[in-house]
Amino acid sequence: MSCYIELNNVSFSYPRSYPRGKVAINNVTLHLRQNEFTALTGPNGGGKTTLAKLAAGILKPSSGKVLICGKDSAKMTLGEIGKKIGYLFQNPQQQLFALTVAEDIAFSLELNGHDKGEIARKVKNMLELFQLTHLQDSSPFNLSHGEKGRLALAGIFINHLDYFILDEPTTGLDVERKNILSDIVKRFSGHGIGMLVISHDEGFVAQHAKRTIEMVEGEIVYDSSKDLRP
Amino acid sequence: MTAAKTLDPRTKLIMVLCLSSLAVFIQDIYVLGGVLLASFVISVILKGDLFPAFKQVKRLLLLIVIIAVIQSLFAPAGKTIITIGTFPLLTTGGLIRGAEFILRMAVIVVSATIVATSSSRETVQGLVQWKIPYEIAFMVSVGIRFLPMLTEEIRNVMLAIQLRGVELDKIPFRKKLKIYSYILTPIVVGTVIRAQKLATAMETRAFRAYPRRTSYMTLKMALPDYAIISFSILVSASVVVVYYM
Repeated sequence: MSCYIELNNVSFSYPRSYPRGKVAINNVTLHLRQNEFTALTGPNGGGKTTLAKLAAGILKPSSGKVLICGKDSAKMTLGEIGKKIGYLFQNPQQQLFALTVAEDIAFSLELNGHDKGEIARKVKNMLELFQLTHLQDSSPFNLSHGEKGRLALAGIFINHLDYFILDEPTTGLDVERKNILSDIVKRFSGHGIGMLVISHDEGFVAQHAKRTIEMVEGEIVYDSSKDLRP
Repeated sequence: MTAAKTLDPRTKLIMVLCLSSLAVFIQDIYVLGGVLLASFVISVILKGDLFPAFKQVKRLLLLIVIIAVIQSLFAPAGKTIITIGTFPLLTTGGLIRGAEFILRMAVIVVSATIVATSSSRETVQGLVQWKIPYEIAFMVSVGIRFLPMLTEEIRNVMLAIQLRGVELDKIPFRKKLKIYSYILTPIVVGTVIRAQKLATAMETRAFRAYPRRTSYMTLKMALPDYAIISFSILVSASVVVVYYM
């Protein structure tokens, strides 16, 4: 199994942490493999989102290294990282930009110079997959929280990437939409795509996770993959 | 108790008013340097957060070059440093104007760190006790709090755009204009939504329920406040009078 993201002895403190110098992530070493669904769980304030942002290269470690496909994330631009890893923010509103739902899904493909016909086909697929077709001409900012979440997911899944990091993807989704997300996750996992999913949804985690990691106070306190090894 | 805690926010506002007025009226690079030094010393004494201020001023440094070139082109003065044909592209006068602009901006940014040593609640109370209507004083404090949030939001949007696999430095110029609209749309919409939410929250907490508002916090000026206010006004007025005479 190929190693996709490696965190080697990574520590991180926020510049304006309280109390000053409080360590958010403390000397974490973690290898996230492609073709593996990893669930990241733990109490609030345990460092899950910080760890996910470090893994995605959004935050740079105070010490240690993060390697994405063997390349130091500190030496990669966010655009480069975005071509390898899809990241869903905890607050989906943060990643919606365009004036209409359809334009928002198409936005990255358009800017990267993809063929118009191909973009239209992919957007149509995503609209159908995430049940957003009836909203395609609406403003993303007028959608409900659940709809915004689905749109943000459609926006990152349209880029065929090898790894996705999803921060609380089931928040605000009803049972039916959660089942749709489950089907999509299964389909992607079946195609060898890796995922790191932060979730408090025990049912969702139990259904999909091949590996579960629990974080408390910036440290990994449980890793099922190590637990299962002899 | 530190000077930042003991001084009345109104004293700080007067000091800042004097410093920023001097920065606007004075057009001499040495006097402007002196005004910046004075702002810096006051901010250090009051334990102002100068580090972010430095970062902001650093971002403006490129403007020195732009202003210097524009001034040199349209109002050439002093010795010519660089020429294109017969046109003076850069003159010593232009460079001085550029440096003066940065000094002015630095005075304003450093002055802001002086005001920020009081909490926004104290500043609002100071304005209210100056008989400024509470609604206006509150609006000022909300405006002050919103500005850093806007900067952070722009940063977040840029980050999210790049995380969708868009390499900003490789995008052709025509498409870059489109990116600006993608940056502005969520910022404008976000600001309107936040303002609406704030208005609702204020209504639910009975903002303006009564015509007069009482306050648990009451500010009282002490002797050092009066001394500093008198000194600031006197010195500023003297500088302006001496400079213009």
